[in-house]
Amino acid sequence: MAPDPNSTSSGPREEASVKVPSKDPKKKDEKKDEDLSDEDLALKQQLELYVERVQDSDPGLQKMALESMRQEIRTATSSMTSVPKPLKFLRPHYGALKSFYETMGDSDLKKYLADILSVLALTMSAEGELESLKYRLLGSEGDIGSWGHEYVRNLAGEISQEYAKRQSEEAPIDDLMELVQQIVAFHMKHNAEPEAVDLLMEVEDLDLLVEHVDKTNHKRTCLYLTSSARYLPGPDDILVLDIAYVIYLKFEEYPNALQIAVFLDNMQYVKQIFTSCDDLLQKKQFCYILARHGVAFELDDEMVVDNDEREALQDIINNSKLSEGYLTLARDIEVMEPKSPEDIYKAHLLDGRASAGASVDSARQNLAATFVNAFVNAGFGQDKLMTVASEASSGGSSGNWLFKNKEHGKASAAASLGMILLWDVDSGLAQIDKYFHSNDNHVIAGALLGVGIVNCGIKNDCDPALALLADYIGKEDPSIRIGAILGLGLAYAGCQNDQIRCKLTPILNDAKAPLDVIAFTAISLGFVYVGSCNEEIAQAIIFALMDRSDSELGEPLTRLLPLGLGLLYLGKQESVEATAEVSKTFNEKIRKYCDMTLLSCAYAGTGNVLKVQHLLGQCAQHLEKGETHQGPAVLGIAMVAMAEELGLEMAIRSLEHLLQYGEQNIRRAVPLALGLLCISNPKVNVMDTLSRLSHDTDTEVAMAAVISLGLIGAGTNNARIAGMLRNLSSYYYKEASLLFCVRIAQGLVHLGKGLLTLAPYHSDRFLLSPSALAGIVTLLHACLDMKAIILGKYHYVLYVLVLAMQPRMLMTVDEDLKPLSVPVRVGQAVDVVGQAGRPKTITGFQTHSTPVLLAAGDRAELATEKYIPVSPILEGFVILKENPDYREDH
Amino acid sequence: MGQGASGGLNRQGLPGDRKNDGDKKEKKFEPAAPPARVGRKQRKQKGPEAAARLPTVTPLSKCKLRLLKLERIKDYLLMEEEFVSNQERLKPQEEKTEEDRSKVDDLRGSPMSVGNLEELIDENHAIVSSSVGPEYYVGILSFVDKDQLEPGCAILMHNKVLSVVGLLQDEVDPMVSVMKVEKAPLESYADIGGLDAQIQEIKEAVELPLTHPELYEDIGIKPPKGVILYGEPGTGKTLLAKAVANSTSATFLRVVGSELIQKYLGDGPKLVRELFRVADDLSPSIVFIDEIDAVGTKRYDAHSGGEREIQRTMLELLNQLDGFDSRGDVKVILATNRIESLDPALLRPGRIDRKIEFPLPDIKTRRRIFQIHTSRMTLADDVNLEEFVMTKDEFSGADIKAICTEAGLLALRERRMKVTHVDFKKAKEKVMFKKKEGVPEGLYM
Repeated sequence: MAPDPNSTSSGPREEASVKVPSKDPKKKDEKKDEDLSDEDLALKQQLELYVERVQDSDPGLQKMALESMRQEIRTATSSMTSVPKPLKFLRPHYGALKSFYETMGDSDLKKYLADILSVLALTMSAEGELESLKYRLLGSEGDIGSWGHEYVRNLAGEISQEYAKRQSEEAPIDDLMELVQQIVAFHMKHNAEPEAVDLLMEVEDLDLLVEHVDKTNHKRTCLYLTSSARYLPGPDDILVLDIAYVIYLKFEEYPNALQIAVFLDNMQYVKQIFTSCDDLLQKKQFCYILARHGVAFELDDEMVVDNDEREALQDIINNSKLSEGYLTLARDIEVMEPKSPEDIYKAHLLDGRASAGASVDSARQNLAATFVNAFVNAGFGQDKLMTVASEASSGGSSGNWLFKNKEHGKASAAASLGMILLWDVDSGLAQIDKYFHSNDNHVIAGALLGVGIVNCGIKNDCDPALALLADYIGKEDPSIRIGAILGLGLAYAGCQNDQIRCKLTPILNDAKAPLDVIAFTAISLGFVYVGSCNEEIAQAIIFALMDRSDSELGEPLTRLLPLGLGLLYLGKQESVEATAEVSKTFNEKIRKYCDMTLLSCAYAGTGNVLKVQHLLGQCAQHLEKGETHQGPAVLGIAMVAMAEELGLEMAIRSLEHLLQYGEQNIRRAVPLALGLLCISNPKVNVMDTLSRLSHDTDTEVAMAAVISLGLIGAGTNNARIAGMLRNLSSYYYKEASLLFCVRIAQGLVHLGKGLLTLAPYHSDRFLLSPSALAGIVTLLHACLDMKAIILGKYHYVLYVLVLAMQPRMLMTVDEDLKPLSVPVRVGQAVDVVGQAGRPKTITGFQTHSTPVLLAAGDRAELATEKYIPVSPILEGFVILKENPDYREDH
Repeated sequence: MGQGASGGLNRQGLPGDRKNDGDKKEKKFEPAAPPARVGRKQRKQKGPEAAARLPTVTPLSKCKLRLLKLERIKDYLLMEEEFVSNQERLKPQEEKTEEDRSKVDDLRGSPMSVGNLEELIDENHAIVSSSVGPEYYVGILSFVDKDQLEPGCAILMHNKVLSVVGLLQDEVDPMVSVMKVEKAPLESYADIGGLDAQIQEIKEAVELPLTHPELYEDIGIKPPKGVILYGEPGTGKTLLAKAVANSTSATFLRVVGSELIQKYLGDGPKLVRELFRVADDLSPSIVFIDEIDAVGTKRYDAHSGGEREIQRTMLELLNQLDGFDSRGDVKVILATNRIESLDPALLRPGRIDRKIEFPLPDIKTRRRIFQIHTSRMTLADDVNLEEFVMTKDEFSGADIKAICTEAGLLALRERRMKVTHVDFKKAKEKVMFKKKEGVPEGLYM
C-alpha cells in the first residue's frame, strides 16, 4: 500500500485551521506548538534535539542520538488513519539529515543514518524517487521487519519499479535480490503470501518461493498461484503452475500436484507423481482423478511395482466401476424406477387444449420420445420403451418401440439402447447384440452406434468395441458405415488409439466415399485424437477438404470436417498455427469457416482475451454473400471465454450486444454460445434471455434457444426451466420441428433423472475434460444448421453429448473401494483466495450423507472427523481413510 | 419523474420483443407467450441495472490477482466498446430508434393520465384505477415492459381509451430525495476543536470500511455497521457528522428523527424503508439520523395510535439496521443527547456497534475551540482568552461559540472595531446566566 493518503492531506489542513489573521510567522509557530499536547511537545523537542545531535561531530553523541531516534520510531504506535507522530515531527528535518548524510564519512554510523532516512523516506520521498529503497541499500542489512509492515510494503513497491528500470538498463540486480529474499521471508512468515508472490512475480524469480513456503502456508500460496495463473498472459502462467507443482510435491500434496500436472497436460509430471508417491490409497485416488478427466493413461511397472495392484489401479482409470457407482447413487437417491417420456412432458399440468392437439407428426413425436427416453434413463439399465419391450417379446420380433420409428429413426432408437445401458459394457453388449442380426440397415447402424455409446469413457482389455465395429467400417451401406465410425469415435474418445487411426484415415481420402461418411470419419478421428496435434490425421483431413467439389463444400455436413480438424488442436493454442496457415489456401467457401473453427478450438478454455477480440471483430462485419463463418466465431467466443468466471460473465454481456446488432446468422449462434457458457448451470439471467429468444420470430433462433435451455439445465431437473419448456410445448404444439426441439430440451433437463451433468469442467472448476468439450462443441456446430442435421436424418448427432455425461456426485469409498456413507456438508463454494486465516470455504450448507449430488458451484466438505479424505477436492469418487487421532465423543 | 415514462419502454429496441407481437397477429388463437416469470416482481437488483452490473472481484485485498482480474474486466469492456462503436458507425441505430420513438409517442397520445395498476389479469390486460372515478379493465400496449409492471405501481394511461401506455419508474419517494446531501457542508474536520479520539473512531467505523474494505478483510473481521454519537447538547455531534459529509465521497443522506414521524399509518416505516433502499441504490453511502430519540425511545405499552405508529417506525428501523436483508455498503450514524432513553434493541452490537461519547470539552479542547471561533474576530490586545479557558464553569462547544458571538455583538453595539476583554466577560456572564436558567453566576459561591 502506498503511504497513507491522509498523511499528506491532513498535515496542511491542520495548519490551515489554526492560522490566525496575523501574518507573523513566529506567532504562527507558537500557536502550532500550543495546540500540541504536552507529551507531543516533549517528543517533538526530544526529536529535534536528536536531529541536532546527529549532526554533531562527536561520534559517540551521534550514535546515542541515532539509537534513541530509532527507538522512538520503532515504538511509535500508529493508527490506521494517520502517520506515526515521530515521523511527522521528523519530516521538517528530512532535508537536513539527507544533506548531512552526504557529508558523512563511511562508518557504521552512516549506515545507521541511512536506515533511518530510509524509513523517513516512506512519507517524505517524492513519487518515483525511490529514496526509501536507495537508503535501504546503503544502510546496514538489519532485520527488515523491525520497521513494520507498512515499510516493507513500501519497499516492495519500490523494488518492483527499480527492477523494471534496471532491466531496461541491463544493470546488475544482485543487491535487489538480496533484499527481495528478506522481504519474501518476512511476508511468508506474516501471513502475507499474496504479497510475497506478487513481489517475486514482479522480479521474475518465483523459484525463490519454494525455499520459503512451509507446512502452514503452502496451501494458501499454491491456491493463490493457481488462481493467478488463469489471468496471467503467455508463458508466465505455465511458470506459475510449475512452481505450484513443485511446492505441492515438496509437501507431498500429491493429489493437488496431479491436478496441476493434468491441467498442464504434462504426462511426465503425472508419471513423476506416481513414482514418487508410495501410498497405494493415494495412487487409487490419482486413478479416480485421471478417470474423471478422461485421459488415456497406461501404468507401467515403474509406477506401480506389484502386478495385482497395477491391474486394480488400471481398472479404476479404465472407469470399469463407473456404472456400479452410478447405480449405487441412483439406488441411494431412490430414482431407479424407469421414467417414460410422458412422465417428463407432464402434459397434465398444461391446459387441456395442448395435449389434444398432439400427434401432428407421429414419427417425429416418436423420435423425440426415443431421445427423451434415452437421455432420461441414461445409464440406469432399464426403461419403459426399449428394454421392457424386448423382454416381453423375447421370442418374437425384437422390440416393438423400435418399429414405431421410421427408417433413420430406427437407427436412433436402436442406439438409444446403448445410452440406457451406458457404461455397463457386459450387459450392454449382450442386449444390443440381437439387433446385429436384423436385416434392416438402419437398425444395424443404430446397434453399432449403441455399442460405441455403451463403451464411452470405458476402456476394456479385450476392446469389444473395436472388435465388433471394425468389420462394419468397410460395408457398402453409408448408414452402417457412419454408425460404426461414430461408434468408434465415441468409444475411444481421447484414447489416441493407433489401430483406429489406421482404419479410419483411408476413408477420408477415399474418392468413392460419400460426403456424410467422410464428415463423420473426420469427427470420430477428432474425438479419438482430441487435443493431440496429430500431424498425419490433420494432413488427411486437409486433403479430404481440398478434394471436395464446390457443391459439396456448400453441404451442411461439410462443416464437420473443419471441426474434426479443430478438435485435434483443442486447447493447444499456438500448435495450431501451421495448420491454420494451410487452411488459408482452401476454397474460399470454407476458408473462413475453417479459420474460425480452428482458432476457437485451439484457444478453447484458455480465456485468451486477444482471441475473443479477434472473434468479436469477425462478428462485427455485416456480410452480404451469405457466408457462414460467423456462427463458429460466436461459438468461439464462448469456448475461449468459458475458462474462468469473470470472462464467462463478461462474455454473456458481449453476447447481448451481438444479439442487438448482429444479423440473423449471428443471432442464431448466440443462444448456442450462451448454452455452452452456462452448461448444466442454469443462471437466472441467461435463462431469462433464452426464454425471450425462444419466442423469436426467426424459427432457427427459437430452436437454438430451446435447445440451449435444455443445455443450461442439463441434468439439473430445474423446475423453472421445466416449466418454461412445458409452456413452450403448448405454444409450439403445431410446429413439429420446434416441438421436437422442446422435447429434446425437456429430455436434457432431466438427463439421467437429474444425476448427470454435461459440464466439461470438474475438480472445483479447475480442469477441463477435452473429450467432454469436444462432444458439446460438435453438437453445437451441428445445431448451427439445425434443419439439415438435427431435424434431418442425422439426429443421432445428439448422442455425442454422451462424451460429456458424468455423474454429478460425491461418492465416498473406503480403503477397499466399497461405498461408505459419511455425513458431508454441501454448500455454495466461496472464493477464499488471498484471504487470511482459515475462512470457511462453503456457505449456506446442508448436511447430507454420501453419496450426494453436487450442483454447479457447489462444494462439499466432510462433516465428521472420523475419516480423512485422500483428495482435498470432494468430487466424484473420493477415498476416505480412518483418522487415527479420532476419539468418539461420549 | 418525466424521464421515467420513457424508461417503461427501454427494451422496445430489441427485436426479440417486437416480433412477439407480430406472431400474435398472424395466428389468432395462439396463447400468449408465457411470461418470462410468474408472480411478484423480482426483488430490485442492487445498484445500476442488473444487466449492466459487472461481476464482483475477489479477493478484496490489494494484490496482483485482483489487478489481473480487474484488467480482465477492463479488456472485455474495451472490446464491448469497440464492438458497439463499430456497429454504430456501420449502421446507426439512432435514427431507427428515433423513428420508433415517435411512433410510440403517437400511440401514447397526449396528455397521458396517471393511474394506479390494481391487478394484472393476463399478459395483455389489467385493471387500473385513476385518482378519480372507477376502476377500468383495459389493455396493456405491447411496448410496455411487462416485467416491470406489478400491482400497485404508478402507470401512464391513454387519455381516451385508458390503456396502459407507460410506467412511471421513478419510485424514489420525493421525501427521501430531499434527504440527500447534494452540497457538501463547509465544516471539515479542521473545524472541530479536540475530539481527536472521536474523529478517529468515526473514521474507523464509517469511512475506512467504505474506502479500504481490504483492511478489515485482512484482519478477518466485519466492519462496524454504524455508530451512535451521544453527549451533552452542543458538544459537536452534528458538527462531526457534517465534517464526515464534507470529507467523504460517499452519498450522504441525512434525516432528523422527527421527519420519520408521518401523518398516516404506515407512512413512517415506509419512509424508513425507502430511505434505506435509496441508500442501498446509491451505495456506498452514509445515513445520518439526527435526534434519534424522536423515534427510538424505549418501547412500553402505548395508548395512542400515534405512539404505536412511532414504535412501528422504530421497529422498521431496527429491521433495516440488522434485519434479514444484508446491507451492503451502507453505514449509519445516529446522534442523540439522551442515549439512556433509547431502546436497548437499537443499540445492541450488530446494529450499532460503536457508541461514541462526546464529553464536555476539557481545558485543552476549550482552548482550541476558542481559537477556532476567535480566529476570524478582531481582538483587542487586552483580551486574555486563557481566563475563560481555565474557568471552572462547564462550557459546551456551543456555549463557547455563543460567548464569542455575544462578545462580538457587544462590541458592535458600541461601534467599536475591536472586541475587548470586557466584552468577553460580559458575554460569558450573559451566556452562563441564560444557561443556568436565571440564577446569576456566583450567587451561591
